[in-house]
Amino acid sequence: MRPVRLALPALLALLALLAVLALLAPSFFAPDNLRDVVISNALVQIIAVGMTMVILTGQVDVAVGATAGVCAVLSATLAREGVPPVLAAMVATLAGGSIGLVSGVLVARLRLPSIVVTLALLVILRDGLRWATDGAWVGDLPVSFQWFGLGQGGGQTLLIGLTVAVIVAGAWFLRTTPLGRAVYATGSDAESAQLLGLRPDRVVMASFAACGLLTGLAAALNASRFAEVPGAITAGIEMKVIAAVVVGGTSITGGRGSIGGTVIGVALLGTIGTGLTFLGVSAYWERALQGAIILAAILYETVRRRRA
Amino acid sequence: MRNRHELALAIVVAAEVAVFAVVAPNFATGANAAEIVRLAVEVGLLALALTPVIVSGGIDLSCGALLGLSAITLGALWRDGGWPMPLAAAAALGVGLLGGALNAWLIAYRGLPALMVTLGSLSLFRGLAEGLTGAVDNYTGLPPSFLALGQGYLAGIPRQTPVLLLVAAGVAVLLHRATRGRAYYAIGWNAEAARHAGVKVANRLAELYLLSGLAAGLAAVIYVAHLGQAKADAGTGYELTAITAVVLGGAAITGGVGTIGGTILGLLAMVVLQNGLRLAALPAELAGILTGVLLMGALALGKAPGVRSPQSAVRSPQSELEMRNTQLAVLCGVILLGAGIVATSNWWLVRSLRPAALAPATTGATTPTARRVVIGMMPKAKGDPYFVSCRKGAEEAAAALGVDLIWDGPTELDPAKQNEVVEAWITRGIDVVAVSVENQAAISTVLRKARSRGIKVLTWDADSEPDARDFLVNQATPQGIGGTLADEAARLLGGAGEFAIVTASLSAANQNEWIKHIRARLASAHPKVTLAVIRPSDGDRDRAFAETQTILKVYPKVRVVMGIAAPAVPGIAEAVKQSGRTDVKVTGLSLPNMCKPYVHAGIISSIVLWNTGDLGYLTVVAGHALARGQLTRGATSIDAGRLGSIAIDKDQILLGKPFVFTRENIDDFDF
Repeated sequence: MRPVRLALPALLALLALLAVLALLAPSFFAPDNLRDVVISNALVQIIAVGMTMVILTGQVDVAVGATAGVCAVLSATLAREGVPPVLAAMVATLAGGSIGLVSGVLVARLRLPSIVVTLALLVILRDGLRWATDGAWVGDLPVSFQWFGLGQGGGQTLLIGLTVAVIVAGAWFLRTTPLGRAVYATGSDAESAQLLGLRPDRVVMASFAACGLLTGLAAALNASRFAEVPGAITAGIEMKVIAAVVVGGTSITGGRGSIGGTVIGVALLGTIGTGLTFLGVSAYWERALQGAIILAAILYETVRRRRA
Repeated sequence: MRNRHELALAIVVAAEVAVFAVVAPNFATGANAAEIVRLAVEVGLLALALTPVIVSGGIDLSCGALLGLSAITLGALWRDGGWPMPLAAAAALGVGLLGGALNAWLIAYRGLPALMVTLGSLSLFRGLAEGLTGAVDNYTGLPPSFLALGQGYLAGIPRQTPVLLLVAAGVAVLLHRATRGRAYYAIGWNAEAARHAGVKVANRLAELYLLSGLAAGLAAVIYVAHLGQAKADAGTGYELTAITAVVLGGAAITGGVGTIGGTILGLLAMVVLQNGLRLAALPAELAGILTGVLLMGALALGKAPGVRSPQSAVRSPQSELEMRNTQLAVLCGVILLGAGIVATSNWWLVRSLRPAALAPATTGATTPTARRVVIGMMPKAKGDPYFVSCRKGAEEAAAALGVDLIWDGPTELDPAKQNEVVEAWITRGIDVVAVSVENQAAISTVLRKARSRGIKVLTWDADSEPDARDFLVNQATPQGIGGTLADEAARLLGGAGEFAIVTASLSAANQNEWIKHIRARLASAHPKVTLAVIRPSDGDRDRAFAETQTILKVYPKVRVVMGIAAPAVPGIAEAVKQSGRTDVKVTGLSLPNMCKPYVHAGIISSIVLWNTGDLGYLTVVAGHALARGQLTRGATSIDAGRLGSIAIDKDQILLGKPFVFTRENIDDFDF
């Protein structure tokens, strides 16, 4: 019950937006449009599941955009050199996990502030990738790279299926497994968690690694939607992901929040852009609206807390 | 501890200066020092105001976006509102204050986490700027008296320097000499304890966010005067650079620690590195990588001030020991870093100097032709595949003519960065500057400066103001491109029907010029063909993909989708392919290699383009001839190596007619 209440403002805003769309632009709800909206938000959604875990422990990872860029280019380069696409995607996922683990170790073992560690990592990865590729796209990919050779319909089903699987697995993990509960305990009060016999530093490391793994997976999946892979395309996505997680009711100071809320947050912020076009409003107001929604959501949170 | 951090940082800066003074031509000159300061002013202002914010345990991610909002306010009030410039500038400061007030209210008086609030207001401010201008309006043509503030000199130093120094002094007094400054540190260490000690925590925090907003407004005024333009994307990403400078300067992100001196040194360490790498013609990306490593190193080694829990406020003897280790380790790090820079630079230097060193030896006497011509060639964005393909031709010509080609520019579209690179080239003293101009108003002043220093200036692909360059290497006239594109659309529609355009950004000058000629050609030759809608892609393939999906649903009568930015066309093609709409055809302006799979699959019917490799080739050939004095105004043709004789129309070197690529001929081309 509690997680739903945390995400209540986002849920209400989402329902209001959908109601307006239903009245003024019912064609938004055509099955193929809904499918396109889900697919174009899959990248943010999968990373947001990992980000939820990191933020629940009271940390933040601003390097996910740069990590995704590196992983996407890595998977495409491997595929071009003849590695089977599925294997390339797995390597990219592992690479993402390793980058996440590096942040996790630096944050947990050396007790460095996560925002600065991941900021430094962001700059290093982004400019390293620019240097290595000169910003050029990875092309000449085998036909089997796109949609993992499954073709249009099969690839889309795979992408949607994997996204749902990640959401369900993430929610199940956080709700029912001991490690999942330890994530909440660490974020609420790391010292108490330590006194209870938990290992907060390991929990933090694990959550960064999980976030990195999911970032790598999302990047590889997103790359496979197209026939060529640019490196810079995911730059700046960290802001979208963090915003979605927080709009979904997860507290930035850790300890409170849920995957369900994050899904609502992603759906809300991800629907605005397409929704505005369907309503005939200039898409350039999209970001202003997103910003207003983020501020309103966190403001509502304090009003509720004061009343309680 | 703090002094030691600053000492270590000062050594880093000194090491950078020492290394670049040796490896980078004209680095250690007064003029270059002035340029370094000029480039650092906007970010510097943000970083200075951010220092007390971070000291108080807060953060302001919205300052870069607020700079953008203030900048377009200034532009709009001056141009559209008819306000006198000083009033418009005051209004820009006012917008900065207002934005700061919003942050201050939410953070100080509602007790919301600063990270979240400013993340939200970042989107809000940037979104307002984009919405108000439609991301299209670009306010230029500002009065020269105003531009002088950002581009002129005062007794040899850039005009904006005194502003930066005044603000630095002011914030330093506030933080280090005033009672309030102690309050900020107290809040950063422990806000609750500060409250009990009688500090009005909310009021103190509020003034810090107001100050940060005001600084963003001031930085906006200087930004506009410096670049001569105000656009919604002004200052994108500046917040990250500013935060990096503050943290590199020794401030703890958790609050309670940090100095203005440290911030200034941190900023210097970053801008000197970037400027030095540029002058040494080393890849500028190294600056980012080294900055990141430096930041991580400073953090890991100086972690004592970084870690803070309420209990650790009382330092244990252990941390005393740690400090000495820290100092040693920082020094080791610096030495290693310096060695690394020297090693890489030497490698590069040796590689680039070898032919130059040989030249005088073989000719004996130094004739003007003995020295190799150095051409600095700048794309709009290095990452754009269109420019990557131009570069191949440019390097081919450089190798054939024995030209030293420096290929540098912004990685992504960024007018401020273009200015920065040209400034560096002027300081370095190269022979020819060749620029594909992203923004006329922003770069023309700098190009004129280059010409006044005897550097030959070419523009290619996109033009500056005509008096700012010697020649334009014109890949095709806008009439030619617009006409060919309109004819293609009409041919694919069978003479009647609706089509849609996916452009780069709505403010892109080239694209808007083409659209004008597409409309003109439609009106004169194809009256039954209508242009249903124009959507932006920001030169981003995925954005073009999503826009096309929406176009196909909202405008079901559209039968042809035309992309007029190279990365947009494959995005459009993918969207059409995935929609299964076989009745919709795709055409546009793009690169053959990018589109080949779709052309063979029959999704893309045709693409229009000139040979991009030839464009790069011709630019270098023209630059070489210009530097050697073989090309002067009034020439009617130029001998362009493998391209044969190329016609010159007054001050434009014309590459020829655009070419239509189809399934039949596309495999003959590889670019």
